[in-house]
Amino acid sequence: MSRIGVFICHCGENISRTVDVEQVAQAARQMVGVTYACDYKYMCSDPGQTLLKKAVAEHRLEGIVVAACSPRMHEKTFRNAAQAAGLNPFLCEMANIREHCSWVHDDRVEATAKATDIVHMLVERVRKNKKLIPITVPVTKRALIIGGGIAGIQAALDIADCGHQVVLVEREPSIGGHMAMLSETFPTLDCSQCIMTPRMVDVVNHPKITLHTYSEIESVDGYIGNFSITIKKKARSVDMAKCTGCGVCMEKCPQKKIPNEFDKNLGFRPAIYVPFPQAVPNTPVIDREHCTKFINGKCGVCQKVCGPGAVDYEQQDELIVEQVGAIVVATGFKLYDITEKPKGSAIKGYGEFGHGKIPDVIDGLTFERLASASGPTGGKIIRPSDGKEPKQVVFVQCVGSRAREKGISYCSKVCCMYTAKHTMLYKHKVHDGQAYVFFMDARTPGKSYDEFWRRAIEEEEAVYIRGMVSRVYQKGDKVVVMGSDIAVGVQVEIEADLVVLATAIQPRDGADTLAQKLGISYDKYNFYSEAHAKLRPVECATAGIYLAGACQGPKDIPDTVSQASAAAAKVMTLFSKDQLEREPIVARVNEKFCVGCLACKKVCAYGAVEEKEIRDRQGNLIRVVAYVNPGVCSGCGTCQATCPSKSVELDGYTDEQVMAMLETL
Amino acid sequence: MKSTGKPEPTVTIDTSGYAVATEEIRSEAKRLLLEKIVDAVVGYQSGRRKGSAVPVIITDPAQAEQLVFSPACVNNLSIYLTKAKKEIRAKGKLAVVAKGCDLRALAGLMGESQFKREEVVIIGVTCAGVHSAGVQPNEPLTSATIAKKCRECSVHIPEGADLIVGKLPLLPDLTPTEKELLEKLDAMTPGERWEYWKEQFTRCIRCLACRQVCPFCYCEQCLCDRGRPQAVDTSPRPSGNMGWHIVRAMHLAGRCSGCAECERVCPMDIPLNLLNRKMAQELKELYQYEAGLTPQEKGPLTSYDEKDDQSFIK
Repeated sequence: MSRIGVFICHCGENISRTVDVEQVAQAARQMVGVTYACDYKYMCSDPGQTLLKKAVAEHRLEGIVVAACSPRMHEKTFRNAAQAAGLNPFLCEMANIREHCSWVHDDRVEATAKATDIVHMLVERVRKNKKLIPITVPVTKRALIIGGGIAGIQAALDIADCGHQVVLVEREPSIGGHMAMLSETFPTLDCSQCIMTPRMVDVVNHPKITLHTYSEIESVDGYIGNFSITIKKKARSVDMAKCTGCGVCMEKCPQKKIPNEFDKNLGFRPAIYVPFPQAVPNTPVIDREHCTKFINGKCGVCQKVCGPGAVDYEQQDELIVEQVGAIVVATGFKLYDITEKPKGSAIKGYGEFGHGKIPDVIDGLTFERLASASGPTGGKIIRPSDGKEPKQVVFVQCVGSRAREKGISYCSKVCCMYTAKHTMLYKHKVHDGQAYVFFMDARTPGKSYDEFWRRAIEEEEAVYIRGMVSRVYQKGDKVVVMGSDIAVGVQVEIEADLVVLATAIQPRDGADTLAQKLGISYDKYNFYSEAHAKLRPVECATAGIYLAGACQGPKDIPDTVSQASAAAAKVMTLFSKDQLEREPIVARVNEKFCVGCLACKKVCAYGAVEEKEIRDRQGNLIRVVAYVNPGVCSGCGTCQATCPSKSVELDGYTDEQVMAMLETL
Repeated sequence: MKSTGKPEPTVTIDTSGYAVATEEIRSEAKRLLLEKIVDAVVGYQSGRRKGSAVPVIITDPAQAEQLVFSPACVNNLSIYLTKAKKEIRAKGKLAVVAKGCDLRALAGLMGESQFKREEVVIIGVTCAGVHSAGVQPNEPLTSATIAKKCRECSVHIPEGADLIVGKLPLLPDLTPTEKELLEKLDAMTPGERWEYWKEQFTRCIRCLACRQVCPFCYCEQCLCDRGRPQAVDTSPRPSGNMGWHIVRAMHLAGRCSGCAECERVCPMDIPLNLLNRKMAQELKELYQYEAGLTPQEKGPLTSYDEKDDQSFIK
């Protein structure tokens, strides 16, 4: 190729401040193969692109080098412009003279020389570029949702309502997640169950949704549009097809003293149970760890009393495979358990708050269960220790959150609002009670949020004390909270009947393991990372995987639902086409020279390399070579670097091109 | 660079076990072929010069009587099992006679998908040592004629073979000459080391015997033979020589099993195994890895572990 155009951008002053762009253009005109070179203030602007298109026509250009910013910024822009001018877009390359040159150098002479070198290298690369055609892969129009909380439910319903098949996988025996545990929700104080349970029923009744509860993701294979998911359905010990949900088994189970996890261990449940009465599906599960039948074989009552004969002690874990085209991860959160310092973690516990030792020091979710009409106390707020009604309750915000020295520096976002809600719920149930709140500052940026918080103080008479708590200890039947009031500048001690800690929100246990299976990235706290904090907030960097809810970062219900719908919209965008276009920058194996050592297969992070058998016309196996599946290949080039005989080459980055680039230096 | 240690008195090594090995190899080869367990046996037979041995591939049970094992059996026969040796692989299932050092190469090749364990019967042979390069084949095996690698051999009895033949005599303690050389090289400054290797490589005539004899150089198209783009200058000049030997060392890092065949066949006496051993030493220090101990799916250089040394990232 010998008719190359070089277009040098000033980027306002970003480049021209340090690089003499005219001189670079002049030097480019002398390079072998360059027919035309010019510079312009904003090459990416409409006039800049017009200039490029005109030059292609006028000078019959066959290749383009745009010397400007990073290709991550504008490669697509200029390739589209090249395409509009009638060129194959992959004959247009960017020379990064901004991030790699003008931004990092001061010396104008040297920076100009370096910019010239960079341009020269790219000219050599474009000279050896070949036309590439985008790869198309079929899309399986079926979505997997991991997690059946409000995020997963919303995403599942949105996608299914659009007419696509959805597979919803939930680790627990019932969907519903944390929202099903809440009493009332801010800022409107409507009952969480009342708005949540109809959605849960919608899911189970939806003809397009396949629900797998008590199931976990075993492994994930494939790529955008074509994932193959192995799901482990844990043995429920109850045949879901036969069970009518009558509940006789639960009534008759002699083992009744198992702490109820759903009620934060405040009440008890039998060994065969549904987590809560409104559970979906309403099929019990046998907790094999606590069931007498499984411990010593000496029971079997539930099987005897079960009319339809649904109880099956022999049931085994089952692996099933689902084919999907997109994945929404909505695994939610857990509350930071402050009782002890987690092993091997930078996060320190809060031993001084006595959580786990003093029975009347509880966390926010426990208070939700106490206040909930469907909770263990029927909505009566009492102390866990003696069942008395607490007359003074101290709420402590930011326990664990925003505490860099304790290992978590982020804000858990929902605690200010739910603590305000807690003070109201308390006041509504204990009219002569007094709520105190220790807080750093109130963060109420949401529709009607600040009004809600003001109402807690002004109408519901909660006393807000700006300051931190240093210690909580038992004194007789009271719990003493020692803290500071920085507004007045004094130390305060409150003898409380009940202390509620707004502990930090953390990702679910196992979030990192799941991320590794999915091949998505996560931050140091194990929250999943979005592809771009502002412009791609619900997509993972891994194509075809989307995020919804608190697994990405602490979120309240409105935000979670919005994000879930956004993720669903992204999935539907993907499903709107039958074929998916992928960049054709993929590796290719030279089968003639490949010796089949398969080192490429070992290093491929995307599982794109397969073994391919080469047979003669009689069908005799001649040899086995490597084959790169272009639908999976991400063009990282690791195989190319690894291949001992250099039998793998990456389109657009062939050895010949790279060597030619190096030789310009 | 010669060893500066005091010249040790010449010790003769007991080679009575080799005759036992020969007999057992013959009977096993015959049995394997007769019972049609394998289609061919890769072993050694006597060469034309008295006492010499050359590789042979037999397919007829009657030929089993030709097989021998002696200190002249220097070749690493694992090279005949790579995918590149199509005509040999086409014979069907193979048995191969392997010394301890050769077996490490076989393990490495299995890890690199060259063949599967069940496709090969390995006749492991206990070995007291083989001749050094340039020794007359009928000379007795002594501390003066033994190969350098055998002076510090740790695999006299092969591990992981299907059957083991021969008998190991009582072995004398020999000074590890190569280890001493390596230590001396390590003690040099980088500049001195560079000069040392530059000096060694200027002698290279690019006959590529080292490549042809190496079981791990099984590529049918060597990258160093490529013209477009040319990665390494092909004429025997210092820059291309340096390029070739660096490519070779890098490609063998984490793979070389230490059979030292490259050094044996080098007509210019370049201490190639020294370079291989240096790379092996680095691998051991960095990743606690030794090549060829067991067939491994992934070596340290084809896998990523968060615990890997990151100190090179500044």
